[in-house]
Amino acid sequence: MSKTIKQRTVALVSGALALAVLTACGGAPPATQAPAPAEATPAPAEATTAPQPAEPAAGGETTFVTWYQYDETNTDEKSDERVGNAYLRKTIPMFNEEFKGKYKWVNQPQAWDKMVLNLVAAVQGGGEVPDLMQVGADSVVTTLYQNGAMEDLTDWIKAQPWFSDLDAGAISACTGLDGKIYCVPVAETPQLVFYWSDHFPNGYPKTPEEFMTQAEALKQKNVYAITFFGSTDFDGAATTRFFFTALASFGGGYDDGKGNMLLNTPENVKAVEFIREIVAKGYAPEIVFAGKFQEEEPMKTAEAASFPTGIFGYRYVNPLRAPSGKEYNTKTEKDMLDAIEAGDVKISSFLAPEGKKPSCGLGVTGFIIPKGAKNPDGAKAYINWIMDQRNNADWVIGPGGGVPSLNTTRSAPVFQTAFYKQAIEATAGLCRPWQGTLTNPPEAQKIIATVIYKLIKEDPTADIATELQKAQDEYNRQYAPGS
Amino acid sequence: MAQSAEAASISRFSRTSHRHIKQGFFSRTLPFWLLLPTLLVLIAIQFIPGVFSFFLSTQSFERGQQTFVGLRNFERVFTSSAFGESLWHTLFFLIGYVTLTLIAGFVIAQILNRKLRLSAFYITVIFIPWVLSDVVVGLIFRLFVVPDYGLFSALFANPNIFPPKGISILTTPPSTPILPDVPFPPAPALIYLIFASAWKALPFITLLILAALQTVPREVIESAAIDGADGWRTVRFITFPLILPTLVVALFNLTLSGVNGVGMVFSLTGGGPGTATEVLSYLLYTIGFGRLDFGRAAALSVFMAIINLTLILLALRISRSEREA
Repeated sequence: MSKTIKQRTVALVSGALALAVLTACGGAPPATQAPAPAEATPAPAEATTAPQPAEPAAGGETTFVTWYQYDETNTDEKSDERVGNAYLRKTIPMFNEEFKGKYKWVNQPQAWDKMVLNLVAAVQGGGEVPDLMQVGADSVVTTLYQNGAMEDLTDWIKAQPWFSDLDAGAISACTGLDGKIYCVPVAETPQLVFYWSDHFPNGYPKTPEEFMTQAEALKQKNVYAITFFGSTDFDGAATTRFFFTALASFGGGYDDGKGNMLLNTPENVKAVEFIREIVAKGYAPEIVFAGKFQEEEPMKTAEAASFPTGIFGYRYVNPLRAPSGKEYNTKTEKDMLDAIEAGDVKISSFLAPEGKKPSCGLGVTGFIIPKGAKNPDGAKAYINWIMDQRNNADWVIGPGGGVPSLNTTRSAPVFQTAFYKQAIEATAGLCRPWQGTLTNPPEAQKIIATVIYKLIKEDPTADIATELQKAQDEYNRQYAPGS
Repeated sequence: MAQSAEAASISRFSRTSHRHIKQGFFSRTLPFWLLLPTLLVLIAIQFIPGVFSFFLSTQSFERGQQTFVGLRNFERVFTSSAFGESLWHTLFFLIGYVTLTLIAGFVIAQILNRKLRLSAFYITVIFIPWVLSDVVVGLIFRLFVVPDYGLFSALFANPNIFPPKGISILTTPPSTPILPDVPFPPAPALIYLIFASAWKALPFITLLILAALQTVPREVIESAAIDGADGWRTVRFITFPLILPTLVVALFNLTLSGVNGVGMVFSLTGGGPGTATEVLSYLLYTIGFGRLDFGRAAALSVFMAIINLTLILLALRISRSEREA
């Protein structure tokens, strides 16, 4: 081969490689087919300038795309998400059969802790968004609202026949800071207390004083009175859990109702003193501060007598061994439900000082329609299908993991079990979204968890009011309205 | 006839010189064409995202609206209490991680270089941590020390070994700082994080140093021994200077991976207890992917890019002065 031919070959190969790189960087041609099948977990896709109408599938159907944290193709019975996975496996064919010729439901599973990120990235980057996304956390609506990632559903939702049947608390959890409704609440997920009835034979303590007395008695028996999520892990998730339950039950909270953080109040100081005393006296195990949800381990073995957590905790806290030694060992959500049915575990609201009412955080699970959804009509048809009495209860006990937002559904036979009855009774009218009017819940969450952790664990002699004030000022300096 | 021959000659000359010109063009530009694909890839995955990050660091997103905010995101990053703290944590982590890995790598490489029996087996075994992901290593090390349930948690909780009350690696807060605003001494979790990260990085560094040690001429070592140099003097004055360029490469490899690594922190400590192991890379991760504050995350990433560039320039300068020496 002559030198010239070699040079030309090199130049040709270089050119071909360059072309390949440019083509790869330039993006794929516009999609002409239905979205990827459900097993493909999508990354935020290529930019599109404006939402295009949904592509008709075979037979004139339009595809309707959802993002769930569940995956119907995952049949692993040990998966944490098995309940939701099985629900989708059952209902996708049902929906597609009922809406045959009109809509074809395609689910694109997402990691539970990346759904909001993926959606915000897709909306802000002009990428592909689903027609409907399952939301399942307390402050998600505010976060998505602040990122302009949701359609305003106010007019539509108010016009639906089931709207008047919705619990008021659930609607408030779906309302943005501008007073408009951005999500459809299907289930409420309040924070409550699971406790071993043998450890608290007279019921869960009603006041802090009563709690301390019983905690000391339990300590003598080598039992921790309480375990809770007390670390700063998951970017301060403790703020949304026990910390809020405790502060709110003492009459405190995190905001002033006008978008400012308000931590330094006498009620909050008292609540932090209470938690500090629990830690200092050894009424809670060390694992409380380890993060990664490992604080539930002592509850499983009854080494801890109570566990304030979300209602959905019943799915994850298993297997169980009661103080009597009785085992609940299917390693599924059935263990907790059976223990409650047998009376070994009971559900309660948290305690409150004299003259105060116990309180707790309230989240909802439901749906939002993202900005730029191609098939909002399909999404709305789906929502109406879920809110129909034929299907509502199934969703609540499946992906919902809480108690129904529709009052009518609460009377369905499936909710007449000890678990649901106790959960509804323990939280009725007591809970509220932890973030209140705070405009930046993710930032607030981290700041609050860090300061409370510091006060109860890292520096238990620090002045509570001073530290709360410092944290409050740090947030308000950057995120208060008008800052 | 003569004219025609002349014309043919001119034409032949013209073609030849044209080919020469073309050959000259290709010869001169061949390196460019060979580098072009790599350059395009680098532009696509490094340069454009880098420029975009800088652009993003000057933007803010409110209700989906993007607005220019100048250097406000930088101000928000630099004035937050988390930034200063994580900067210190990063510094302590780097000092511990780089020092421990280099020293341990050097010692193990020296031992392996003595041609022990089963050396090849040892090298294979030592290489195992390198093929594990940061997240897996983090989870394994976490399981060792989970309070009450971890394999070694009872050992650490023993007050006779760790007086006065024993410690819990994942939850014991740092001691009272010696200097105000400087989180030193660090929490046990940060020391453990250094240990786990060093364990993970050790195989690569050991092999790198071992390869360098094997290039040191045996005659030089033997001459030093004949001249009466003991083991330490041989290492100090013969081996060490000869493998210094490799050590510099190892040093900067470790420093860059230490500054930018996030997987181990994520899976082992989650930044805790409190914020005791929150290093810059983890802070960046949480601001961007946890709090969805892309503008502020981009500002922090620009700051970290400057740190990285400074380290790279420093490495290049040291290598150059080594070559010149």
